[in-house]
Amino acid sequence: MSEPVTLAIPSKGRLKEQVDAYFAKAGVALKQAAGARGYRATVEGHADIDVMLLSSSEIAAALAGGDAHLGVTGEDLIREAAPVLEGRVALLKPLGFGFADVVVAVPRSWIDVSTMADLDDICAAYAHRHKKRLRIATKYAQLTRAFFAHAGISDYRIVPSAGATEGAPTAGTAEAIVDITTTGSTLKANGLKVLDDGVILKSQAQLAMSLAAEWDEAQRAAAAALVERLSAKIG
Amino acid sequence: MPAFPTYGPQELDELNKVAGAVLGVFAARGYTRHEPAVLQPAQIFVDRSGEEIRRRTYELNDPSGHELCLRPDLTIPTCKWQVESGNPYPARLCYHGLAFRHESGDGQFYQAGAELLGLDDRGAGDIEIMALAVEAVRAGGVDKFDMIVGDLGLFATLVDALDVPAQWRGRLKRHFWRTGYFESLLARMVAGGDAQRAIGALRGLKLMELKPAIEKLIDGEGEAPLGGRTREEIIERLMIQACDTTAPRLDADVANMITGFLKVSGPGEAALEQIRELTKPMAADMVRPLAAMADRFAALKSLGVPPERVRFVAHFGRALEYYTGFVFEFWTRAGEVGGGGRYDTLLESLGAPRGTTAVGCAIRTERLIKARALA
Repeated sequence: MSEPVTLAIPSKGRLKEQVDAYFAKAGVALKQAAGARGYRATVEGHADIDVMLLSSSEIAAALAGGDAHLGVTGEDLIREAAPVLEGRVALLKPLGFGFADVVVAVPRSWIDVSTMADLDDICAAYAHRHKKRLRIATKYAQLTRAFFAHAGISDYRIVPSAGATEGAPTAGTAEAIVDITTTGSTLKANGLKVLDDGVILKSQAQLAMSLAAEWDEAQRAAAAALVERLSAKIG
Repeated sequence: MPAFPTYGPQELDELNKVAGAVLGVFAARGYTRHEPAVLQPAQIFVDRSGEEIRRRTYELNDPSGHELCLRPDLTIPTCKWQVESGNPYPARLCYHGLAFRHESGDGQFYQAGAELLGLDDRGAGDIEIMALAVEAVRAGGVDKFDMIVGDLGLFATLVDALDVPAQWRGRLKRHFWRTGYFESLLARMVAGGDAQRAIGALRGLKLMELKPAIEKLIDGEGEAPLGGRTREEIIERLMIQACDTTAPRLDADVANMITGFLKVSGPGEAALEQIRELTKPMAADMVRPLAAMADRFAALKSLGVPPERVRFVAHFGRALEYYTGFVFEFWTRAGEVGGGGRYDTLLESLGAPRGTTAVGCAIRTERLIKARALA
């Protein structure tokens, strides 16, 4: 028998609840393996699938690096882990939950800035005036670089942010941010606004397949059977 | 993933010979050799090169948490050394060593380069470096090459001479070499869709009323952070825009002239003639930069570079963000073997007196060997 197919799903948080509900709705029961301290599980009726419970960003990294065959996580994290999806990750199915937008947000007091073109002017003027680059705090360095390059902006620098990115402009560690938002209320509470054309990605949870992982015939068949079962019930 | 090459005795011998020949040319023209450290503080590159270069720079942290990088080029550390040494200008410096960039290939390559710093006569400096580079490529054993030349100053002069709203001049200059993005920017300006929204609230106000009105708008946003900008910066930018009485719309003829200019590409002299024709309405402004370009072509001719192998490309700007004027590249079957240009703002940003000029060139020594083999 060949090695099992590995399926990575979130181990905690709101996304885990939503994934559990999604599998339940499809009639696919997940059973946590005893003694594995909750980090392993099996799928009832699919002995050839091995479930790993990981954090959302670990799942994205595992898909991009080929350490998991299948995974469920946010598209934002997948695209950040694999900026060029081709040959690395295939998005199989948007799941209809975990919605979040990755956006460019600036201080609301910048009343002269409402578009990326304005931000471009500001970046150039800031570099000229302050002799340093305007700082963008984010945990989405790859998405930010690609989007800013597309908008023609180069006079800036990225400040890696591990958490509470929205507080960076107030704390003085960055001038603007790139972060996820769902309702916009956290941004507003921190005195920030999203630029008119500053939506980088409309993200949601995705069922994705790693193209970087090794696949044999039996594994392909096992994965196809599971994906088909998930799709049949929910569509 | 890089290939992690090991250089054998034969390759090293070849590389040393080519490097020796190139450095010999530099030395004969009075350029003294320097070798900046491979390991550099990340900051000097990050602050001067922007994210495009940073993306390709190998960054690392030492155990005490300092942010370091492997030098992505030798120009910035060489210039920094000159500024900090306090040595007199003009300075003529050269180097040969590895540069490290995350790009296709091995992630590292050998580069010989020369920098002419602080020579006030820009025209003479451009030609000195260009001639030096031609001589260096030839000394490296490559006689057949094509050249691409451009001048970021030509476009800047054109935009300054055009009837364009002040706020858009900088935008046009910054982006002229980004094919695709620039065209959409122009189209947006012609459509008039690039106007600033906050301006609506300020329309019709007298000059005296503007500043308090803008301050009121900022205060209206409550406790929002300023994010490193000052209130004055925001007020100033809006004042300039509000005072620009020209409708925020780009004249279609002006847009056509810009598009036409950027399309110019061809053998040197013919291309210049095309630009002269296109920019007739602002001939007085264009005459000097065009004459400077003609001087460069004449210099190349006297160096024995066949004119039909020198192509002027109006939108040629180099992806390295610090170039400001004349730019050139050498191309062979092995790809680009060298290039250079003027970067007049770099030295000031490193602490040199305002207006300190700089022009330089870099030769890819390993590519010269490859080009020789393919010739």
